[in-house]
Amino acid sequence: ISSGNPTVQTLACSILTALLSEFSSSSKTSNIGLSMEFHGNCKRVFQEEDLRQIFMLTVEVLQEFSRRENLNAQMSSVFQRYLALANQVLSWNFLPPNLGRHYIAMFESSQNVLLKPTESWRETLLDSRVMELFFTVHRKIREDSDMAQDSLQCLAQLASLHGPIFPDEGSQVDYLAHFIEGLLNTINGIEIEDSEAVGISSIISNLITVFPRNVLTAIPNELFSSFVNCLTHLTCSFGRSAALEEVLDKDDMVYMEAYDKLLESWLTLVQDDKHFHKGFFTQHAVQVFNSYIQCHLAAPDGTRNLTANGVASREEEEISELQEDDRDQFSDQLASVGMLGRIAAEHCIPLLTSLLEERVTRLHGQLQRHQQQLLASPGSSTIDNKMLDDLYEDIHWLILVTGYLLADDTQGETPLIPPEIMEYSIKHSSEVDINTTLQILGSPGEKASSIPGYNRTDSVIRLLSAVLRVSEVESRAIRADLTHLLSPQMGKDIVWFLKRWAKTYLLVDEKLYDQISLPFSTAFGADTEGSQWIIGYLLQKVISNLSVWSSEQDLANDTVQLLVTLVERRERANLVIQCENWWNLAKQFASRSPPLNFLSSPVQRTLMKALVLGGFAHMDTETKQQYWTEVLQPLQQRFLRVINQENFQQMCQQEEVKQEITATLEALCGIAEATQIDNVAILFNFLMDFLTNCIGLMEVYKNTPETVNLIIEVFVEVAHKQICYLGESKAMNLYEACLTLLQVYSKNNLGRQRIDVTAEEEQYQDLLLIMELLTNLLSKEFIDFSDTDEVFRGHEPGQAANRSVSAADVVLYGVNLILPLMSQDLLKFPTLCNQYYKLITFICEIFPEKIPQLPEDLFKSLMYSLELGMTSMSSEVCQLCLEALTPLAEQCAKAQETDSPLFLATRHFLKLVFDMLVLQKHNTEMTTAAGEAFYTLVCLHQAEYSELVETLLSSQQDPVIYQRLADAFNKLTASSTPPTLDRKQKMAFLKSLEEFMANVGGL
Amino acid sequence: ALRKNGFVVLKGRPCKIVEMSTSKTGKHGHAKVHLVGIDIFTGKKYEDICPSTHNMDVPNIKRNDYQLICIQDGYLSLLTETGEVREDLKLPEGELGKEIEGKYNAGEDVQVSVMCAMSEEYAVAIKPC
Repeated sequence: ISSGNPTVQTLACSILTALLSEFSSSSKTSNIGLSMEFHGNCKRVFQEEDLRQIFMLTVEVLQEFSRRENLNAQMSSVFQRYLALANQVLSWNFLPPNLGRHYIAMFESSQNVLLKPTESWRETLLDSRVMELFFTVHRKIREDSDMAQDSLQCLAQLASLHGPIFPDEGSQVDYLAHFIEGLLNTINGIEIEDSEAVGISSIISNLITVFPRNVLTAIPNELFSSFVNCLTHLTCSFGRSAALEEVLDKDDMVYMEAYDKLLESWLTLVQDDKHFHKGFFTQHAVQVFNSYIQCHLAAPDGTRNLTANGVASREEEEISELQEDDRDQFSDQLASVGMLGRIAAEHCIPLLTSLLEERVTRLHGQLQRHQQQLLASPGSSTIDNKMLDDLYEDIHWLILVTGYLLADDTQGETPLIPPEIMEYSIKHSSEVDINTTLQILGSPGEKASSIPGYNRTDSVIRLLSAVLRVSEVESRAIRADLTHLLSPQMGKDIVWFLKRWAKTYLLVDEKLYDQISLPFSTAFGADTEGSQWIIGYLLQKVISNLSVWSSEQDLANDTVQLLVTLVERRERANLVIQCENWWNLAKQFASRSPPLNFLSSPVQRTLMKALVLGGFAHMDTETKQQYWTEVLQPLQQRFLRVINQENFQQMCQQEEVKQEITATLEALCGIAEATQIDNVAILFNFLMDFLTNCIGLMEVYKNTPETVNLIIEVFVEVAHKQICYLGESKAMNLYEACLTLLQVYSKNNLGRQRIDVTAEEEQYQDLLLIMELLTNLLSKEFIDFSDTDEVFRGHEPGQAANRSVSAADVVLYGVNLILPLMSQDLLKFPTLCNQYYKLITFICEIFPEKIPQLPEDLFKSLMYSLELGMTSMSSEVCQLCLEALTPLAEQCAKAQETDSPLFLATRHFLKLVFDMLVLQKHNTEMTTAAGEAFYTLVCLHQAEYSELVETLLSSQQDPVIYQRLADAFNKLTASSTPPTLDRKQKMAFLKSLEEFMANVGGL
Repeated sequence: ALRKNGFVVLKGRPCKIVEMSTSKTGKHGHAKVHLVGIDIFTGKKYEDICPSTHNMDVPNIKRNDYQLICIQDGYLSLLTETGEVREDLKLPEGELGKEIEGKYNAGEDVQVSVMCAMSEEYAVAIKPC
């Protein structure tokens, strides 16, 4: 290294790099027959002494190079190699001194290692000259994009330094302060290269993630302020560059990646309100928020679609349905920007309001001009849509940001009004005139600024009402027959926003908050005119959308989701059912007439679900009766009228009849989807009547595959949504119905030969559905919410004897039906394959005693399936198969028959699992499942196991390895000799197995 | 509404929909539907793209099962449910035709499924009974 000869130095560097690879626990390590434990010990010794020495040498070389001017090509190539080596050292995955064996294997897979060296590295890394060196190096080579990658990566690693290396907090503060100084000196006043963006944002992101808040705030105030200023500046600048990248449609979006990282860092930084005084970040938040908005608005307010020299580019590209919506694709960015908007609510909420209000007015004007033009010269198609599209895109982004700012998207939990928003509204409530606020809210058709006193209104409500104004312009354009000019995307944004808003704000539960803003509780609280009005308004919107936008599936879907939100909580549903419109909607849907019957089938199902959910709102008995008469009874009546006709058999192929049947089956799926614990009793009884009739339909439509498919789907849905709530006798009814369904299916399809082109596809779909059905039925064994009383009643002796069908019977019958139809070709469909293995594993786990009773053919194919799953399918399937083996082996042990086919089969599986654990490259995720299966199999076949061990040992040439293997095998079984199926022994064995794996793995 | 697994007329032929996807021109454009269908009689593939507001023709498909009585001059004699005999349907070509002939010659009872759409009619499946 010190020779000064580039060739020799290159060689030295290569040797060191190779050494590092061998000692690291990564996939680069070659297979030289070290046990993992031994390897771990070597690594530990290496990292304390040699690694540090390598690092020091590297640092010396880098120092040397950084001092020189004018490096020639050969020299700079050597320089680059040593820089890469330094990076490798700093990315070392340090093993802590005392770490249990089984963690060693785990460490291998972790990526993005943070720098957490042991104490012995203290002097080396805390020496401020080291850090300075890397800043110096970077300044020197930053224009070389390859080398800059490495130098920035080194700095990012140093930015993640943590752990025992710091003797106390003070040293951590010093280190951080020093680092930030170096960073600011390096990037302030320079123009950042494209290739630096990601690296720099990684450095900042590491600093913010790794250093605790109290350390961050302990650095000198001025320095911290400069750091946050710099972060703000970089965020805005990367955001602008990211927007440019989008315009140029670049493949490699480096600024977008860097921007994402910085926005995420902001989220981490501002979510802590303990260490920073209130308002500390407000000004920065304003800047980042403004720049985000600016990048997303069209000129003149913004810079969207402008290239660097200010030229607008606009192209109409084809967007496929697979393209994610912006609200999902940019959800992380939007969440950060929304959070910053909350922090700076004083600025951001009025800003969004005025931008939206202004655009609503412009949109309204623009549409009016189009209308006049159309009236003046109908048929003229020379309308330039550029202006409209720009407005739509502006509104699109404004609504997305508003949605993320005002509310969170929660799954399963009750979303709360963000505290910043609540405080903001409360703070200003004394200056607010409630009546004017309600007026602004309640008159979406009027310009906000035309209402006297409009500036003394609650800003949050005014922002909501700005979105309602957009919605109103849309509705009016529809009434004026301008639907073709509207943007379905904007329509989607509106209902998406309203749904998100309604979940959080509509009928706020005051118990959930310490204090509540008066304008909020007056406008959207329980028992207020405001909430009744807004529910009516939303409902009107839903109905209008469903009739106008049936051809825009996504929009219709978002719309119907809004409807579900309105009725899924009892408090809101109570108000919804008071609207006449709701009843009209129910009647209209029940009549199956246009436009609602134009909706796509998933939308119709969800609509049905919403209508059913609404029926569980609070109503007096008479009203309730009437409601079900409107919603569910027509379904039943129409259906019975059709199928009970004398000549139904002859008419069944008529188009109207088929449509009626399809619509009914679709509706049944929707009803099943509406199941909740408190309505299951009613819905189950209702659906059960249909299921019986559906079996009759299976017979009638036996030659109509699409109908058969839909009938099975109804059963799948009912089982999926309801089985977990059913008591024993009800569950029995469902089992019986399913069994009959399968029998009819089997009878009609046995020996059937089809030539039509879609035969294979249809059969695949049937099989998939049947497997889903069986899996759903089995799931009762894991998830059961049924009333325990009823379960106990089912165990009374008299009733138990009457049991006609058990889940096992249905499922095994089903498997019997499916197995002959399954082929290796069909298993190439991944969904089908996973569903199949899930099903057979469930069966082995739940009914192991039934397996030996299976007919021979069925038994054989089941065993073959398991073997196939273990050896040549995905690791997920392999895991499932391993899980199936344990109960099978236990079953054998219980039965104590040594010549049964199952016993013989398990002997074969012992060898398979043995090979998997000992001989093949082992997947550590599988150790537990494989270990459990292995142990039970060993218990069952002790002699065979010894034989396997003997064979393996006798093939060993090397006496050292022989001895180690033999010792390892002895230790493995030492704690459990003789092995018995006892939990304690099994646990002991599993523990020894981990040790065993660490010891012989790789041998 | 059209649905996957449903039927549609493409280029004047009755087709089963095997693929249905949407796209739009520009973010604020209206949806267009891209349909791929397979001719239910010939197996030929047809595609079409149209605005999602467009009305599409849907063929009426009827399926009937008949008892096979005999095969004569390449035509099937079939017994309908109402007791009439149809003799206007050809013995299908290929695998299925051979299968029908084989079963008939072996004296097995066979039920033939016949599919009818847009005034075309063919035997498409058999089932022993």
